[in-house]
Amino acid sequence: MLEKGKISAFQMAVLMYPTIVATALLTVPSITAAYADNDLWLSPIWASLIGFVTVLVVDALHRRYPQKTIIQYSEHILGKLLGKAFGAFLMLLYVLLTALVVRIYAEFLVGSFLTQTPIVVVISTMLLLCAFAVRGGVEVIARAATAFSPFFVLPLLLLIVLLFTDFQLDRIFPIMADGVGPSLKGALIPQGWFTEYMLLAFLLPFLTDREKGRKWGVLSVFAVMLTLLISNLIVLFLFGTDVATMLYPLMAAARYVSFADFFENLESLVMAIWIMGAFIKISVFYYATALGSAQLLNLSDYRPIVLPLGFLITLFSFWSIPSLMETSKFDVAVFPFLGPLVLTLLPLLLLLLSFVRPARQEGKSS
Amino acid sequence: MNRNGRKWWRTNKHKLEPARQNSPSPYAHLTLSKETKENLQTLQDIYSKCSDVIFRPFYIGKTIKAHVVFISGLCTVQDVDQYVLTPLMQANENEFPDMEQMAEQVLAVSRIKNLATIADCIEEIGSGNPVLLWEGEERALSLGLAKWEKRNIEEPSAEVGIRGPREGFTETLDVNTSQIRRRIKDPALKMERMKIGGYTQTEVIVAYMEGIVDQTLVEEAKARLNRIQIDGILESGYIEEMIEDNPASPFPQLKDTERPDTACSALLEGRVVILVDGTPFALIAPVTFFALFQAAEDYYQRYIISTAIRWLRYLFLGISLLLPSLYVAIITFHQEMVPTSLLISMAASREAVPFPGLVEALLMEITFEALREAGVRLPKQIGAAVSIVGALVIGQAAVDAGLVSAPMVIVVAITGIANFMVPRYSVGTAVRLLRFPIMFLAGTLGLLGVMLGLIAIVVHLCTLRSFGVPYLSGISPLKPKEWKDILYRSPWWAMKTRPHFTGEFNQYRQAPDQKPGPERSEDP
Repeated sequence: MLEKGKISAFQMAVLMYPTIVATALLTVPSITAAYADNDLWLSPIWASLIGFVTVLVVDALHRRYPQKTIIQYSEHILGKLLGKAFGAFLMLLYVLLTALVVRIYAEFLVGSFLTQTPIVVVISTMLLLCAFAVRGGVEVIARAATAFSPFFVLPLLLLIVLLFTDFQLDRIFPIMADGVGPSLKGALIPQGWFTEYMLLAFLLPFLTDREKGRKWGVLSVFAVMLTLLISNLIVLFLFGTDVATMLYPLMAAARYVSFADFFENLESLVMAIWIMGAFIKISVFYYATALGSAQLLNLSDYRPIVLPLGFLITLFSFWSIPSLMETSKFDVAVFPFLGPLVLTLLPLLLLLLSFVRPARQEGKSS
Repeated sequence: MNRNGRKWWRTNKHKLEPARQNSPSPYAHLTLSKETKENLQTLQDIYSKCSDVIFRPFYIGKTIKAHVVFISGLCTVQDVDQYVLTPLMQANENEFPDMEQMAEQVLAVSRIKNLATIADCIEEIGSGNPVLLWEGEERALSLGLAKWEKRNIEEPSAEVGIRGPREGFTETLDVNTSQIRRRIKDPALKMERMKIGGYTQTEVIVAYMEGIVDQTLVEEAKARLNRIQIDGILESGYIEEMIEDNPASPFPQLKDTERPDTACSALLEGRVVILVDGTPFALIAPVTFFALFQAAEDYYQRYIISTAIRWLRYLFLGISLLLPSLYVAIITFHQEMVPTSLLISMAASREAVPFPGLVEALLMEITFEALREAGVRLPKQIGAAVSIVGALVIGQAAVDAGLVSAPMVIVVAITGIANFMVPRYSVGTAVRLLRFPIMFLAGTLGLLGVMLGLIAIVVHLCTLRSFGVPYLSGISPLKPKEWKDILYRSPWWAMKTRPHFTGEFNQYRQAPDQKPGPERSEDP
């Protein structure tokens, strides 16, 4: 085993929560609103369905191949050559996804706060920090996520309390004026985030209580769905359908807070929390990439390749995404299709194949 | 590569081999012979040029030649005269043909030990017990009369409290063990003795409660202590650095305490206490980050107040770590965060200051650290002068001269006070140190830098373990059962379970349903 650490199923759920929510909270409300108007709060519910499917598929695969990650069992299922090709493809995609997350994080910071800071500084400092955590292993990342998680949930509640007087609750009506169509359309893009639950394929083998993996995975999806639903409601109550025109609506909501002449400009606080969330998200992706690559290359330890991978990710974050415009284009036009196809459908295919060709697995492993 | 297969840059012809032997004693193989003269000669050779070792020849009764050997100052001469020399000289040697009988009937010394080798003799003499050598005997007798000048039990100076016992550990091991034994009378309290340090032969005691402690923890502690091969142990700090889990960390992974009550509560929680001779500081393992914020007095004051104080400590821990960095970040990068009126007054006071925020902060913080360190090491009489100079020159004059702004002085002062809120000096110093790198980050990357620094610290804390127990145990990994002593100090009647560290443990520390109320007891 490359990873000696063990986490509990609960820790896994806590770990996945910021991993999904961190970037979703920023852009999902406005993207959803563009299609769903005032039904935007329904979209996360539809979108979460694919999250549940992903979790169940990955968990079923895990049950068939316990203590193996997707990189390892894909070789069993597809055969050596095809399996390696699949693994290489997946790892390349993960490098790209990690780079994308880092880039989104950096763009947001540079765009909103550190306007004069070179973006490469923001990217490389974060990756360096994540490399530090990734080298510590899954235990360290999970523990850091547990330590940060209260800071992630409480501000959202605080936002509700502080903004409650400004809410116009009737903005929610009419509910489903044009049927489910708009809200379903709005769900098209957020569902990409839920497919990221495929990451569980890298975490499930390290659980202490494996039988609880499915339960907590599903609960984690549910918590993410609930969070997105609430955040969508907050911006809806606050801004109405204008949300669609905003880049980071929740950020605008935080800026909106003015309480007792002192709690003003809470966006710095939001930024601080966002950095924590981004840190967890990037670390988990980074970890999956490092562990998967090491398993793909049959290395005895994944730690030596963590820093080199960090350089690669830094480079990818510039090569693959030239500008913020490209990022949002990728978010809207590419990932909603790439995500379900690769992160949900391919594991599902693997699962089906593993049922169809169980004999192969023995032949290969001997 | 040279012949030995070592790389050329590694060849070092005159490299000294590290000492492999724990004990430098070359006399281990020497047994005592029947000829007292020989024995005496060996001992005299060993103790040549040791002016403090006294050899006293005398006759038991009239005929048997004997010697008593002891180190002056480690036992009182009166005791030797009164309990050893007098009865032996006056005894009739014919009545007691062998040594054992003589010892049983004549010597009024309660601790007596038979010694067979020279090494044993040296050990006994070294620890202060006079050794009796006897004509015609292959054995020697150690007399437990060791007694030396020691400090009285005093109030622990590093852990002061308003309420609670006022006695602290001293430099003498026996006094320390007796203070623990007086509080925990049950024989389940075990104290295992070992000797560490080749030359100092320092006695170290591993104390634990059998039946409460996880036995693997005790084994691990003993194994780690046995691994130590060093010439001397002069303070428990030596041991702490040799047995901790992660040496590359500013955070202490063992708790040191000067208070017997703290040590006893640790024992009752299933921790291991390591007592070291020659120092009033005992070590407690395992320890979590939050346990380092528990002062003994928290458990003696009312729980509501203790809870509030605990939260105050956490708050000020954050302040002492982050306040200067936040200030630097805000005045350098994020002026918009400050309410306008406050910003104007801050800007006005900073107008004349020629330095950027980071330099100003570093200047003040380093000066403050210097003042503090100077104050600690100076004799008490001069210490007052330091604080006067500090307060006047650094505070008043620097602001008047326009070198630093008044808000900066306030920030430094609050940070300083905040640091004193941490009840353990060793954690306080870690935080003191860590605030400088974060200040640099704040000066270069603003709030982002502060956050990155903070995350790095939390990640580091997440990697730490103390004897296998995760350092942040309770919060992460999340254990809501442990919150009773982390997030709040629950009242004693609600503190039903012991904290859980590793493996199996004796969970319940008290009977259920003990919450007191106004109802009278049914049977008085």
